[in-house]
Amino acid sequence: MSALQTFMLVVDNDKDEAKSIAASVAQDLESKKTTLIDIVRQLGEYINDEDPILRGKAISFLTAVIKALPPRFLSRQQIQVLTTFFGDRIEDGGAVAGLDRLQGLERFNKELAIETAQALFGNFQDLQSRSQTQRFQVYQLLNELMSRHREALREMGDESLMGIVDLMTGEKDPRNLMMVFSILKVVMMEWDVTNHAELLFDSVYNYFPITFRPPPNDPYGITAQDLKGRLQDCISASRHFAPHAIPSLLDKLDSTSPNVKKDALNALIACIHSYDPDTVSRYSITIWEVLKFEILNAQEEFLSESSLEALSGIAKRLSEGVTEVSSDLPLAQYLRPITQECNEQLQEPQQKQAKPAQQILSSLSSSSAVAFTIIVQSVVAPIFTIYQEADGIVKQRALLETLAVLFQSATQVFGQWTTRGGEVAQANPLVEFKDQFSDVLGQALMGSAKDEVSFRVTALKGFLRLSTLRDFFQENEIGLFVQYLDEILLTEESVGRDDLKKEAIAALAEISKHKPRLIMDITFPAFVATLPDEDDGTDSTYLSTLDTLAQISVERDIFETLFRRLFSKLSILLQKEQPGSAAYPRAILVTLLYVMQQRQMDADPNVDLYFDKIVVGLCQSVAESASGQGKNRLLNDPTILDTLGRLCNLLVRAVSVQKQEQAAQNVYSLFSTGGFVPVPFSEGASADQERTIIISTYLLAGLSKECVNLIPNTSPDMSGLLSDLVKRSVSDNAEPATHNAFLHHLALLVNKFLSKQDLKIAENLFDSLVSPEGLTFTPATIRTIFWLSKALVLRLSPSTTHILTSLMGLLSSPDQQTSHSTARGFSILLGDDDVLSAANGATIRMLSKQRVFTTVIPLISSRIRDVNIAGNDDSTPTTSSDHIKPAHLTALAGILSTISTALVMPELPTLLPLLLQSLDLQTSDSVAVRAATLDTLAVIIRDNGVTTIDKCGHVHSLVQRLLKTTVARPGSGVVNPPRLRVDSLKCLYLLATRQTSGESGNAKIPPAISPLLPEKAQVLRSLRAVLDDPKRDVRKAAVDASSAWFRGVDDVPEEDD
Amino acid sequence: MAEVQNSNPTILNVADLPTRTRSTIKAGDYHSGIFAAVPNPADFLSSDSEDDDLLEEPIDEQEIYDLIKSISDPEHPLSLGELAVVSLPDIFIKPTLPNVSDSPLQTVIVLITPTITHCSLATVIGLGVRVRLEQSLPPRFRVDVRIKEGTHSTGDEVNKQLGDKERVAAALENGALMQVITKMMETCQ
Repeated sequence: MSALQTFMLVVDNDKDEAKSIAASVAQDLESKKTTLIDIVRQLGEYINDEDPILRGKAISFLTAVIKALPPRFLSRQQIQVLTTFFGDRIEDGGAVAGLDRLQGLERFNKELAIETAQALFGNFQDLQSRSQTQRFQVYQLLNELMSRHREALREMGDESLMGIVDLMTGEKDPRNLMMVFSILKVVMMEWDVTNHAELLFDSVYNYFPITFRPPPNDPYGITAQDLKGRLQDCISASRHFAPHAIPSLLDKLDSTSPNVKKDALNALIACIHSYDPDTVSRYSITIWEVLKFEILNAQEEFLSESSLEALSGIAKRLSEGVTEVSSDLPLAQYLRPITQECNEQLQEPQQKQAKPAQQILSSLSSSSAVAFTIIVQSVVAPIFTIYQEADGIVKQRALLETLAVLFQSATQVFGQWTTRGGEVAQANPLVEFKDQFSDVLGQALMGSAKDEVSFRVTALKGFLRLSTLRDFFQENEIGLFVQYLDEILLTEESVGRDDLKKEAIAALAEISKHKPRLIMDITFPAFVATLPDEDDGTDSTYLSTLDTLAQISVERDIFETLFRRLFSKLSILLQKEQPGSAAYPRAILVTLLYVMQQRQMDADPNVDLYFDKIVVGLCQSVAESASGQGKNRLLNDPTILDTLGRLCNLLVRAVSVQKQEQAAQNVYSLFSTGGFVPVPFSEGASADQERTIIISTYLLAGLSKECVNLIPNTSPDMSGLLSDLVKRSVSDNAEPATHNAFLHHLALLVNKFLSKQDLKIAENLFDSLVSPEGLTFTPATIRTIFWLSKALVLRLSPSTTHILTSLMGLLSSPDQQTSHSTARGFSILLGDDDVLSAANGATIRMLSKQRVFTTVIPLISSRIRDVNIAGNDDSTPTTSSDHIKPAHLTALAGILSTISTALVMPELPTLLPLLLQSLDLQTSDSVAVRAATLDTLAVIIRDNGVTTIDKCGHVHSLVQRLLKTTVARPGSGVVNPPRLRVDSLKCLYLLATRQTSGESGNAKIPPAISPLLPEKAQVLRSLRAVLDDPKRDVRKAAVDASSAWFRGVDDVPEEDD
Repeated sequence: MAEVQNSNPTILNVADLPTRTRSTIKAGDYHSGIFAAVPNPADFLSSDSEDDDLLEEPIDEQEIYDLIKSISDPEHPLSLGELAVVSLPDIFIKPTLPNVSDSPLQTVIVLITPTITHCSLATVIGLGVRVRLEQSLPPRFRVDVRIKEGTHSTGDEVNKQLGDKERVAAALENGALMQVITKMMETCQ
């Protein structure tokens, strides 16, 4: 058998075999064992056969051989012969693929391309009756010709144009259409289409609007949006389509389907962007006339948005190359009817139609400087006229809002003071009205009744826009505005929700970015002058002043001034014999802290100065105060020390390594030069002395891990220091703030600075703390145990499991007090902490939360089950273990409140019964547990819907318990504070509104009967009583919950609908 | 309803609608702004006490107003509050039986002001307000919704309809009408 015959036998079943046969023939050709003529001659037998399949296979053989040849093997002549050969037989299978291969060869020339194209156009009148794959091959070949031999096809002119259109007319397959559209787009853009514009346009417009919806699991991944995009590119491809495209698309806006309208608008926008300005101009007014309706009577928000985009697109196109404003411009002619319409609508600016008019002005005026100028010239003067004649403040406010819209556009067109580059050559047309604006806005802001808040806010916002507008106001004019704002903030009484003051602060902050000097020269002196020398308890308005100063001082220069002024205030206070309340110096420190948190302190060139003043200077003063040498006791106050500590912490983190090392050496000595005894190892330290550990802790937290060797008392290892801290932590007589600092300090050292080899020290300490079993533990000891555990667990020390089981042991302690304190400790374990935080470089392993959760939850769950069973067995439960169950539930609530629900979800079937039992606790000391439980439940329901609860089979029990918690005056011994009532109502609300889980996006679940339906009647009945709750917030939540159940929980959806 | 009857009504700014101001902010308790960000160490020690638990907050006119102001107008995507169809001074609460001193029964009277005097949707709006209040108030409240005098050409007619229990009940059986009312109440929160 010849190679040809073998090929024809296997080609259908074994593609690889066929390929290798062709490859070997190709090799023979290369080594001249056979010739191309011979191969073609062999075919002769089959290519005139009656059976098209046989013919196809024979041609395929030739194609396969050619494909297997190296690209430069065939001579020009051979290519020519083969092209003609394939061209003659183009309808037979394999020929198109052969041509596809040939046209890719280097020696394939223009004439051959034309010949191939003609073969395609001439022989495929019946293309649409062939299979999708065959059609695809043909388009593929055409596409390749288009990209490699476009010149040749273009020279064919009308012939290729008509040919291509004929070829694809009637195509319906989305995969093929994607290619067809892209081929046609090239024709539309590069051929001379003047004579055939309508034909070409119709050939694609027939597909508009595209209603294709991909089948489920579509392997080709073609979306309707892909097709729409390509079709839109075709429609907008040539300006010669305009006479056909624009009227047709505008017609489509009469459609009742918003989607069709949207497609039409998108296509229209594409046309506006791509046709030339003259063409766009010809249709501009027609388009406005139609789109006006869409905006003024907005059916759907997105339609009005797209319409506005189209209108501003036209304005942009018509502004191209225009530098001088004149009334003959096409742009001016286009804008004339538009501004006229807007002016009409703005006659009654407080009415509904004024809103769309504002939107039109906004999007058109922001489209270009020229458009802005034309609009301002025809709109602003009439607005002033209406304003002067306006009979009410409502109308005036609406007008100010309209002006603000124009100011916003001005900002977009001309930029702000801080905008770099993009200067506009045109003069800002608003300048002409500058004084008028200033008068009207100033009058509205300062001259109207104090309680007209929203009117004044509108004026304020307008004024702000103009103040930040580049090259508009003079410094002194902005200065006037700043003075107004100062006056509002310093002298006016609060009104309502204080919206005006909030806006005033925001405005000052905004101006501080553009004109910091004005803030420093005007606002700072005015504000600082009102700060008292000390707080004598009569007046605390300094708080709001400091608040404002903090918010406007984020800019570098301003912050420097703020720091200098406040630091000197503080220094004076520290020197006073009678400094007044500690709240004032603390507020000053908070102010500095707030601003520093807003700024990038490590990039601040002055950070060393701040370090020296605050960390070194004030710490020294703290040490002096602690040893009784201070002028007053301000720096002995724990709240001041805490705030100062935070400030030090932030600065230590921001400074250089050298400065950090300096801080490390002085963690305990606090830079003191004598007289002060550091806390560690000091015997009989006074309360004042011990309190400095607060500062030490914050300093320590800010240090980088590399400084560990410089920290005093840590060599050869930390055991001594840690034992000393534990000793101080478990003692009962430390002040709460000091005690807290000891705990944090201990945890920091163990978590962040203790080396891996030395972990044993901490573990031994832990063991020695928990070892005296059966004994009672003081709350202080329990807290120490938990902080030590937290430090170890967060870094996932090898003893983590041992630690957690020891904690569970304490939880089951027969001593009620011990068990109770332990239960409350569990929220410490994973809770976020300001000191032991990632920002402070603590070692927090990603999996630590998961580890705690998966270790502890099963233990809690089984322990509670044991207690329940024991309780059922004994008719008289022993009082000694009464506390075990609440303790475990409290511990559970503590853990749940500190981990994300993603971790919780897989364990829900185990957890839900426990949560329900938590809700069964009724006494007042269970309020915290129940609140935490309700929070967890709310998150579970919100994120996962009621189906998750239903899967565990607890809907009824849950609803019952929630309803019980909503009762305001339950029986004796039961306490449901308002917060719990609100929380459980919120859960009920969420149940009704989250009936389907969020992830059911594409796969629509058939409407099933809601699992809530059996509960509906009872819920609604119970909630009626809650509607009469004595507390307003509870009633509000009850209204929301009951209307959600009214509406959301339905019977089986009606079929006949 | 295809034809919008009043296409260009006057709109009030949401910020200007009457709201409840919490007057219970204690002097010297400046817990807003930047000072809220830094916890005062003293906060750790005292658990938040709920001293005012026992303080009753009776249902007042503002609360009624808050319940109905967010109902949408059937014609516009705007609320009844923004359109001034309902307003705070036109809401009254009084004891149903003034002669019985300890009776818990209360009557709520809401006067609604249609945007135009010939608005055929006044009845629907009235029904919507009524349904909302009946669902949201405890059973001891009687609800009386009326058109404000002189604001509607057929005000008496509408009032008769709204006041007639039988006719209200019959109207609520009407599926199409109920759909409109449900749609109106979707924006209530």
